[in-house]
Amino acid sequence: MTTTPNNTERTSTDQIRQAVQEHYGQRALRVIELADVTPESGQDCGAENCGRGSCGSDDCAPNAEAAACCGPADTERAMTLYNEAQLQGLPVEAMAASAGCGNPTALADLRPGETVLDLGSGGGIDCFIAAEQVGASGRVFGLDMTPEMLALAIANRDRMGVTNVEFIEGHLEDIPLPDASVDVVISNCVICLSPDKDAVFREAYRVLTPGGRLHVSDMLALTEAGPALTDAESWASCVGGAEYRGTYLARMTAAGFTDIDTIDEALRLDENDVPLNVASVKVSAHKPA
Amino acid sequence: MVACEVRLDLLSIIACPVCKGALELEADEIAPEGAADAGEVLTGTLTCAACDERYPITGGIPNLLPPELRDAEAAAGR
Repeated sequence: MTTTPNNTERTSTDQIRQAVQEHYGQRALRVIELADVTPESGQDCGAENCGRGSCGSDDCAPNAEAAACCGPADTERAMTLYNEAQLQGLPVEAMAASAGCGNPTALADLRPGETVLDLGSGGGIDCFIAAEQVGASGRVFGLDMTPEMLALAIANRDRMGVTNVEFIEGHLEDIPLPDASVDVVISNCVICLSPDKDAVFREAYRVLTPGGRLHVSDMLALTEAGPALTDAESWASCVGGAEYRGTYLARMTAAGFTDIDTIDEALRLDENDVPLNVASVKVSAHKPA
Repeated sequence: MVACEVRLDLLSIIACPVCKGALELEADEIAPEGAADAGEVLTGTLTCAACDERYPITGGIPNLLPPELRDAEAAAGR
């Protein structure tokens, strides 16, 4: 069996990009709506197709699509991925919009004064945690292609009074930063959404300073068979674009990264607890000094 | 104004997504002192000194999508 380079044979690049953008745009809008509602136990949160598992109402049964985009469920997940100190002071909207599968800043060992780039910054949660760690002398760039997410991230930032984070609309495959301008690149469950992962790693490598480091959490397929589902909507939910870990790591090596390390795998299941041959993996790597 | 300097400093680093050339900032509207986003360039234009491509800043967000993608999105009404 031949492995498709990017799982893209059955789904075009444009279809993937559109599905990803719509999926995350809707997620951001839903969080913005939720911000005006108190999500009390046993009450519908008010969002269309609300899929809150804890809602309790019969006509509010969880469904896969809504559960994947609805705020409170994501807030709960964020609280399991991040530790209490990291979440302190963050707006609930930043947690509710969080779609990550890991906690890259926990491994990045960020130091005061460093410059950090977050690929696919979403509602901004990882940027805000990074901003706290690099301090006033450091800076953080959040790059995202979804306008609704960027608007949410900026609202969160201004509510927090953070001044060392800049959010930029752009593509992971065409990073709008100069060569060797970033100490650390982080990314939380986003590179799997890209139909051109080679370009993402090439660009991440380019913007890193010599000795710079990459810390990503991402969804990867455990065997060469790839993910169980590869349609556009599965791409948007981080399954379709999850490629075989060997292929993914080989792309990083090809881009120039060294000391590539993977840890911690959390298996992804479908709604019936059937494994999708996909797992959340933390990957770290260096650009040689 | 410290916040303003920080924000302009952040903007000064970003580069053209196409040729990676330096961008020159022209700010049309800056959030006033005392606002939560004080010093943020709300509206403006970033122009690449190397390839002359222009990138808009609207609502405080610099749009640095490659131009063909930006135009495709505009055509799609996003």
